[in-house]
Amino acid sequence: MSQTIVEKPEEAEPEQESFMQRVRIGDAWEEEDLAFGQPVIVAVRWIMIVTAMFLAIWNVESMADLRLQFVALLLLAVTNFYLQAQLLMKRPLGKHIVYAASAVDILIITVLVLFQGGYDSSIYVFYLPAIAAFAVAFPRGLTALYTAVVIMLYGMIAMVTEGALADVIVSRLLMITAVAFCGSLYLKLEHERRAEVQKREASFLEQIAAATAEPLPQID
Amino acid sequence: MRELRTTEQEAAEDVFFGQLVIIYARWFVVVAMTILVLWSSTTLDQMVIGIALVVPLIALNFFVHGRYLMEKPANRLLLIILGIIDAAVITLIVIFWPGAKGMYSQFYVFYYPIILAFAFVFPGRLSFVYTAFTLALYGITCVLLTPSFLADMAEIERLVLRMVTMAATGMIGIYYYRIQRQRRRQIYLPEESVLDPA
Repeated sequence: MSQTIVEKPEEAEPEQESFMQRVRIGDAWEEEDLAFGQPVIVAVRWIMIVTAMFLAIWNVESMADLRLQFVALLLLAVTNFYLQAQLLMKRPLGKHIVYAASAVDILIITVLVLFQGGYDSSIYVFYLPAIAAFAVAFPRGLTALYTAVVIMLYGMIAMVTEGALADVIVSRLLMITAVAFCGSLYLKLEHERRAEVQKREASFLEQIAAATAEPLPQID
Repeated sequence: MRELRTTEQEAAEDVFFGQLVIIYARWFVVVAMTILVLWSSTTLDQMVIGIALVVPLIALNFFVHGRYLMEKPANRLLLIILGIIDAAVITLIVIFWPGAKGMYSQFYVFYYPIILAFAFVFPGRLSFVYTAFTLALYGITCVLLTPSFLADMAEIERLVLRMVTMAATGMIGIYYYRIQRQRRRQIYLPEESVLDPA
């Protein structure tokens, strides 16, 4: 076995390296978070599609409504099938496609809320799992942006509905924020935990390298 | 290289690190409840009932958050008991809050962050039981308190929608908990990365 001498690095080098490492880890996390979070988003979308389809058939109000709902849900199902297929083939989609698809989800829920009575519509509950799924997959800034958009859109729609109770609206908006905050906080805590594990792992490997570099004791 | 920690150690770490999510979820519920008490109470009795429901939750969360800040976080059993208390207090709001009650109460929305936070911290089986327990508690409360809604298909549809989305929220937590565990393990087993297209 060849023995190599491990030189102690200069004072300035570790600092620079650790900064570069941090940058690299940050980028990898963003991509990884999205890659690992995509199945969650797709699963939530399937739940939304199946539930909405079931409810549309259960309580038919008019043929025109059913036709519209059916076409919208079918399009959503086809899109989600495509996303699911990409994941099954281990080809996670580009982040812009995922972000756009998620924005469309919010838009569809908002349109349904708008056309089903605003404040009185119970469809708003779909926002909660949707935002929770985004929060565990997207960077915090983007989660905050999506949540702010939902709060603004839903807040405006609910407020202008006749007979809306302000305390109920505030509770709903606060809980949407709570779900987004909890998801993002969990993601942040997991980043810290993984960084800690990576640090431990690197230190462990360094110790092994140092131990193997030490000369073997001479036996007379 | 293989991971040296046991599953039990990993679960203990999940509780240690994750309980902050439960604490913040509870703070959100406390803030919403406080706003409700101060804003919508119209009589002294209503305010007293409201304060009686909110204050124990605030005291509990101060205790748990304080311990967390002192690096003496709550153990698994205490967190489970607190999770049950959270669900019970929200159910009491659905039952006793002045105005619409049971199925017609709009404060079922407080269940969502509590269910999600619990599912982030505890293993799947326990989170599944907690989610089912909360759903059952809410469903039974609605049926016992306001059975008249069962005659209206639109109201049954509303209840189903609420319960499905609550279950979906719990499922997100359970699913993501598993994903995160796998990701941590992949640091030790990088060759199994799911990001690898091969």
